Amino acid sequence: SLVIRGEKDEQAVLCSKDKTYDMKIADTSNMLLCVPGCRTPEQLKADGESCDIIHAQIAGFSNNYWELRRCRPKLKKLRKLLMEDPYEGPDSAKDQASTTSRYTTEDLLNVVQASEEEIMHQLQALDACQIEGYWRILNFDYEVKLLNHVTQLIDSESWSFSKVPLNICLQELGPLEPTEMIEHILLSYGRKYTDGGEVYFEMNEDKICRTTAQMLLKNAVKFNLADFQEVWQQSVPEGLTTRLDQLKGLALMDRSSRPETISMLKVEDLPEDNQERFNSLFSIRKKWTEEDITPYIQDLCGEKQTVGALLTKYARSSMLNGVKVYNSRRPIS
Amino acid sequence: RSPQRCGCSEAAGAEDWLLLELQGEVEPRQGRALPGSLLGDLHYTQQGIPVLVVGHHVLYGKVVPLEKPLAVLEKRGADYAVTALVHTKLLFKTRPKPIVTHVPRKV
Repeated sequence: SLVIRGEKDEQAVLCSKDKTYDMKIADTSNMLLCVPGCRTPEQLKADGESCDIIHAQIAGFSNNYWELRRCRPKLKKLRKLLMEDPYEGPDSAKDQASTTSRYTTEDLLNVVQASEEEIMHQLQALDACQIEGYWRILNFDYEVKLLNHVTQLIDSESWSFSKVPLNICLQELGPLEPTEMIEHILLSYGRKYTDGGEVYFEMNEDKICRTTAQMLLKNAVKFNLADFQEVWQQSVPEGLTTRLDQLKGLALMDRSSRPETISMLKVEDLPEDNQERFNSLFSIRKKWTEEDITPYIQDLCGEKQTVGALLTKYARSSMLNGVKVYNSRRPIS
Repeated sequence: RSPQRCGCSEAAGAEDWLLLELQGEVEPRQGRALPGSLLGDLHYTQQGIPVLVVGHHVLYGKVVPLEKPLAVLEKRGADYAVTALVHTKLLFKTRPKPIVTHVPRKV
């Protein structure tokens, strides 16, 4: 079945179970008349020839029709809604507060312009969880707190990061946090598997390093790159190795400044519309290499558009010190 | 918030309709309304070419399978139901030829 979704100030989209389509009116100067039951020559031949007159009625006519074009689901709103009231833990006083900015699956289906499958997939990508029937994103500090419980336990138990036992985590950390939250953080940062009838998690080392970096970067405007790399490596759990490529789409390095610096830039904070995204990126930095800009436009790529195609359409290329760079097609204020 | 969420029911029971595409506008005879009026007669030649006689004009067209099928939606309350699917259209884009009554040859 199909659903048309959109609030009064939005452009309508049509959603199937797993796809989203833009709806555009196609105007034609011709008249389109709909005739129910009217037969084509082929159909008449198949029916066998008769000389009876068929009285057909025109059901209606129009000058236009709706054309559907497959589009990216409009999921930025989903994150925006869930960020209205991030979950801070069971002890938080806020939890007693009203539930007006909390959303059930049904609520989200009503206001997010995407198909159900696309929405559910994004909820998983956002590491959202259901608490008392409402979809919640964790407040960052609470998320870090939960992650630290786990990494400290991994350290004290000398476990391998690829074999973290669920039952012992629940046992040891249960007194500190709700068991659902312990399991949720393990699912968010690890891959669940069973071995010999027991449940284990293979931890995502890159993601742990990434969150640690976010923790360091979020309170500073800019960081000296060399200093940052040192502090970052020291801050991650014992046994993990930090690498700058773990920070794609999270932080931006400035290699032209002296000293080299790094600052936070999250792709999910940038506009969803293609032109607005490029305008935003070019106002942050005039010229970009393909390597630097790719993590910030990758999510704009659709079925037919590659990063290269987007750059050709929205940017102008030039050479700078022997390197190909991209800048805006129009002046940015 | 007033969500605009309109559901469409399954197209399984949808009928198969045909589309007639004409250039310009269709006007009823003086004094008549469009609903209930006769548009004209549709014929097919032996070669399967559609011929439409409207008033004192004849139009020749062609059978065109649609690249993408169209769905006819009917609004029922807040829902849209798929009433019909259209796979083919009869396109009339040649100039209408006036039908002139047969004039006997000079004897």
